[in-house]
Amino acid sequence: MKSLSDTAETNSPITPLPGDRKGVKRRKRILRPLAPSTYLLRNLGKTIPLTAVIVLAVTLVSGIIAMIDSIPYSIRTVYKYAREDIGITPRGDPSLLPGLVKDIEKNSPIPISRVIICRATSSMVRSIVGKWPFIMLGLKQEDMRFYAARQGTQSISGRYPTPGKAEALVSRPVAKNLGLKLGSTILKPDDIDNYSPVPVKVVGIAETDRWFMMDPIEYQRENYFPPIDDAMIFARDSAEQDKLDHWAVKRFKGQRPLVFAYFEIEKNTREMFATLYMILNVVIAALALVITFMMGMLMNIYQSQRLVEFGLLQAIGYTKKQLLRRVLAESVTVIFVGWVLGLALTYGLLRLASAVLMEPKAYALDVFDRQAYAYTIPIPLAILVVAIATVVLRFRRFDPVGVVERRLV
Amino acid sequence: MIRACSASLAYEDQGRQVFACRDIDIDVRENEFLGILGPSGSGKSSLLYLLSGLKTPTSGQIQYDGADLSKLSDDERSRLRITEFGFVFQQPYLLGYLTALENVLVSTPKDQDTDSALDLLDRLGLGHKTHRHPHELSGGERQRVCVARALRGSPRVIFADEPTAALDHKNGLGVVQLLNRLRGSGSLVMVTHDPSMLDEADRVVKLADGVLDLS
Repeated sequence: MKSLSDTAETNSPITPLPGDRKGVKRRKRILRPLAPSTYLLRNLGKTIPLTAVIVLAVTLVSGIIAMIDSIPYSIRTVYKYAREDIGITPRGDPSLLPGLVKDIEKNSPIPISRVIICRATSSMVRSIVGKWPFIMLGLKQEDMRFYAARQGTQSISGRYPTPGKAEALVSRPVAKNLGLKLGSTILKPDDIDNYSPVPVKVVGIAETDRWFMMDPIEYQRENYFPPIDDAMIFARDSAEQDKLDHWAVKRFKGQRPLVFAYFEIEKNTREMFATLYMILNVVIAALALVITFMMGMLMNIYQSQRLVEFGLLQAIGYTKKQLLRRVLAESVTVIFVGWVLGLALTYGLLRLASAVLMEPKAYALDVFDRQAYAYTIPIPLAILVVAIATVVLRFRRFDPVGVVERRLV
Repeated sequence: MIRACSASLAYEDQGRQVFACRDIDIDVRENEFLGILGPSGSGKSSLLYLLSGLKTPTSGQIQYDGADLSKLSDDERSRLRITEFGFVFQQPYLLGYLTALENVLVSTPKDQDTDSALDLLDRLGLGHKTHRHPHELSGGERQRVCVARALRGSPRVIFADEPTAALDHKNGLGVVQLLNRLRGSGSLVMVTHDPSMLDEADRVVKLADGVLDLS
């Protein structure tokens, strides 16, 4: 059919676009006009700020939680060595120890693989919240080998300390944390935190992810006070160590000996951080509320700017439900994309923080901290609820004729 | 096809009942070009909204193929509008983030065949601007895109509410001619205050103060 307009230049249904060359015709990509992606991609000036706010909110919340979580996670990591044995000390009365060991060997609910008589002296390691107490175990050399193997040691760089000498073996995380190398001094007379009457040199580094340090028991017996031995009892099957720990704690409850069990470290850590997490929950809830309110306002403004669009579409025959579904799909897309990008950004930042700040000092940071990521779930849900509620309320009173008559533009 | 039976549209204004249309009796017949002529404020747009189901009468009835439109739900009336009717409004309302072609496709959500839409735009003289966005088009071109959107899907009735209001006389007349010539077997109901726009109308009714002028 002939064009009815004198301005028509072509009858071809495929129109060459600027940039087409040598008569090669191409069709510009046509998106489904009312698909959520079309609006979002064609209105990046609105989509990007909305998405960015969600990304930042998610990153903020998950980042804070991950950093806070790194403290109890560090405690569990640093003292994880305690999972492999139950430690028992006669609390100042060395005569009690043989009886205690006999009692455990006789009455233990599970088979015991080894009892190690040891000494222990205090030391310090570093954490993101300052210095933490640690112990230098004094062991016989054959016990050192057993202990290192039990802690998952793959190999030793250097060698085991010579019996009686001022020498130490530390695990790789301890070496990283304290900046130690073979030949470094780990204990010395002028170090109040890591004291020894003579300098103790590092002669071996155990390749494992567990934290421990040990020196010869003969050296400790000769140089430290009080002269009291302790005991470490190992279950034959590592998986049953926890059962032995619980039994021993119950067995010696209210008695003189002091028992060190890993599950108590975990319990104490949980209790220690319970109040902090309660405060944190309130802060995160307040933060989520503020972000939700802000996002709700932002979305409300953006939806207000689309009144003409909604009015026109309703006037030509789109139902309120169809329009609501479309807004819902757009909101879900923005919020979901923002949430996923926020999680991805958090993961990236945590990896960066771990590599640059934490790992060189062997500080523990869980980049896959599920709790931190789970904390962000209420944010997209709350924003979605507020956004939809706002639009539903607006649509309920909306009259498309007001728009096409230009009363509501 | 469409029949208004004593249809009135009234609203409250400071406790007083004001009639936009009053006791209107009118038929829209198959394949006719019905012109509704009246000065500004005479109620002609309100009558158009009543006939198209965009508004429901406060008294009387609007029947479409014998069915009372006010008995239909909002959703049913919406479905009727999108499947049976086409609309051209005073202002050339287009979605700014869509191209001319995509704006045309909006009126037929179940038919996204671009070739026929391109053909329609071509027949309206916009074949070379199908991928332009509304801000790249002149007022007359935008209104022609609106005409294409209204014609798309071959609606049974096209309602045009002062489609020439935002255009100069020449462009306005061109738009009316395009609407009339491309409507096929569909009816065209057009309201205007300008009698010269209704030269091609089969029938013209006059409206004054919300009442049909039968003189």
